Amino acid sequence: MYFQKLILKFVLILMSLATYLAPISAASRDENVLIVGANIGNVPWEFQDTAGELIGFEIDLVNEVAKRLNREIEIINIPFNGLFSAVQSSRIDIAISSITITEQRLTSVSFAQPYYDSDQSLTIRSDSNITSVNDLQDEVVAVDTGSTGDIWASENQQQYGFKEIRRYEGIAPAALDLQIGRVAGYISDIPAMQYYTKDKPELKVVERIRTGGSYSMMFRKDDELALSVNEIITTLKQEGLVNELHNKWFGVLAEESTSTAKVTAMPGVKAGLLLNFMDTFLNKAVFVETLPMLLLGLTTTLKLGLASIVIGLFFGLLLALNRLYAPAIARVIAKVYIDVFRSIPLLVLLIVIFYALPFVGISLSPFTAAATALIIVSSAYTAEIFRSGIEAIPKGQFEASQALGLSFAHMMKDVILPQATRIVIPPLTNNSINVIKDTALASVVAMPDLLKQATQAQAIAANPTPLIAAAGIYLLVLLPMVLAVSHLEKKYSKRNQ
Amino acid sequence: MGSLIRLENVSKHYGKFMALQRVNLEVAEGEVVSVIGPSGSGKSTLIRCINLLEQYDDSGKITVNGTVVRKGADLKNVRANVGMVFQNFNLFPHMTILENVKLAPMRVDEISTEVATKRALTLLDNVGISDQADKYPGQLSGGQQQRVAIARALAMEPKILLFDEPTSALDPEMVGEVLNVIRKLADEGVTMIVVTHEMAFARQVSDRVIFMDAGQIVESGTPTDIFDATREPRTLAFLKNVLEH
Ligand SMILES: Nc1ncnc2c1ncn2[C@@H]1O[C@H](COP(=O)(O)OP(=O)(O)OP(=O)(O)O)[C@@H](O)[C@H]1O
Ligand SMILES: [Mg+2]
Repeated sequence: MYFQKLILKFVLILMSLATYLAPISAASRDENVLIVGANIGNVPWEFQDTAGELIGFEIDLVNEVAKRLNREIEIINIPFNGLFSAVQSSRIDIAISSITITEQRLTSVSFAQPYYDSDQSLTIRSDSNITSVNDLQDEVVAVDTGSTGDIWASENQQQYGFKEIRRYEGIAPAALDLQIGRVAGYISDIPAMQYYTKDKPELKVVERIRTGGSYSMMFRKDDELALSVNEIITTLKQEGLVNELHNKWFGVLAEESTSTAKVTAMPGVKAGLLLNFMDTFLNKAVFVETLPMLLLGLTTTLKLGLASIVIGLFFGLLLALNRLYAPAIARVIAKVYIDVFRSIPLLVLLIVIFYALPFVGISLSPFTAAATALIIVSSAYTAEIFRSGIEAIPKGQFEASQALGLSFAHMMKDVILPQATRIVIPPLTNNSINVIKDTALASVVAMPDLLKQATQAQAIAANPTPLIAAAGIYLLVLLPMVLAVSHLEKKYSKRNQ
Repeated sequence: MGSLIRLENVSKHYGKFMALQRVNLEVAEGEVVSVIGPSGSGKSTLIRCINLLEQYDDSGKITVNGTVVRKGADLKNVRANVGMVFQNFNLFPHMTILENVKLAPMRVDEISTEVATKRALTLLDNVGISDQADKYPGQLSGGQQQRVAIARALAMEPKILLFDEPTSALDPEMVGEVLNVIRKLADEGVTMIVVTHEMAFARQVSDRVIFMDAGQIVESGTPTDIFDATREPRTLAFLKNVLEH
């Protein structure tokens, strides 16, 4: 019965996911409004000024394009690696965010002609003596998840001997970790980093990494809009407007040979097939290619989850016993702890632990930070579960134990906890499921967990299959636990009748 | 001869309410004392103070076998000397009958499993349920469970047994089997205090009967003194009330 409900739920989720991502949503909105997705904060391309106004090279450009198309424009903020599925599903018409045109992306999306030739760059702390990527042997390097820098660093990890590649969601957290010293270098788009470090003397761009690559606007595959926009960009280049924007944002005009000045062809369309549902969401080739990455992520997720669950159980029990039986002060402390950490969102706690504690000299690795946050919160929940379990044991059990002369420890161990355990196993298993689900939040501290691996894979392949696969893997791991809980609940409720 | 249990001036407050008011009582070794009285008169409170399931006021003093009953290191000795049987049995439901009986000897006296098992089986035999040793409490009748509870209390070889209405939760047809076990213990000379509503049993078994009301011991005497010869109006009213029902 429960099982059927669960399957039904899963099917419903899949269906809503499909409608959410499928092109039909385009029909339900105002045709005249051009919807543009951008990773706001990506200087100097699209970011907010102090008044909250959206500004930047690409903002100016896309505004001009909309004007020429005679359409209204609405710009929405979408993280970089969410832009791919957003155009594929027609949730947005155009994606901007200094997106590099790559062969692989062209199999799933379309681009207009490029308007900026870029390279990657290495940014370091000004006080370090690193001068190039050759100095990064056995060092941790930062990249943006699924970006060109990520692709380059992954391909060259062996050659340069990077100890680890840490993946961030945007410039700000990566730059913060660079300043703290958790990473030795940050590989990212050169224009963005030059702009970003302009007013930050503590950071320095020391090397251009010649990856080539040009930026353009991204569209759903074979969208006719791409053709119209491409023509408008041709006109804008001929009018010299694109290069004016270059001058406005970088203080110099681009050279005549660059794609900022010169009209170029629209990037070739690969495998002219329109992708159907299967190719988009359940692409076998992408699945096979990314599965090893996902399994690596699963290992991290399970390690993190299990460590947090086991240690959280231990501390939770300790807390519960303190909360119930310790002297007044310890009891109050336990209560405050339990209440506070059940009220703080895990994500907030995680960010505080990872990004704020370094300022008081405590710098934890992503794994330790994530595990600490999960344990802190999980033990608070576990404590409440244990407490209610212990309180559900009739008073007579305590009195009989005391009358027999059992010590407190023996009373707990032999009489109370074995009975409480039966009561708390279903809620504890539920809590464990939540802990494993919450490990996904560890992506924000650059932990390569299952979700992180999946978002990275989908950005590189420009295809949502890895995300669907990750959902499937979570389901495979958690569904048996969910079923076990309902089984246990049924069993105990029967026994108690 | 020395008293095994001595209560001097024992009071018990629940907030402003006094559940016990300056109670004095001595129980000699081998003596069987029944405590009777109306509901709420403090009978349970009285015996629960003796093994410190309830804390009594600082003004009073209880000693068991010469040891003062207070929180601290000596409490262990007191509880080892005092067994208690509850109205609701309070067996440990997750353990078998045998495990229930041998738990405390193994944990408190650190007796080996073999010895504890042997002793437990003997005790279960004495109360007539050794054949149920491997069952769980939930599988037994109320009368059987209470007999197990008595065996469990006896397993610590206490000098004193406290009973708090041991038959009140039982179906009438099971009262007899439990009372018989207690009677047998009384005959063997075990010191005990029995809070009970079974007047016939109190009359038959007790060396002394205590009548309590409003947290005080109103009178104390032989069964004949209390049941046949009392002049105390409160006792008379209580007995009249009980015998009518
Ligand atoms: N934990 C408590 N808090 C407050 N008052 C209590 C508490 N326990 C007992 N009392 C009160 O103390 C008085 C004596 O209670 P006690 O249980 O000793 O009575 P009793 O003689 O055993 O009655 P019964 O025959 O109903 O078992 C009662 O008025 C009761 O309400
Ligand atoms: Mg009572």
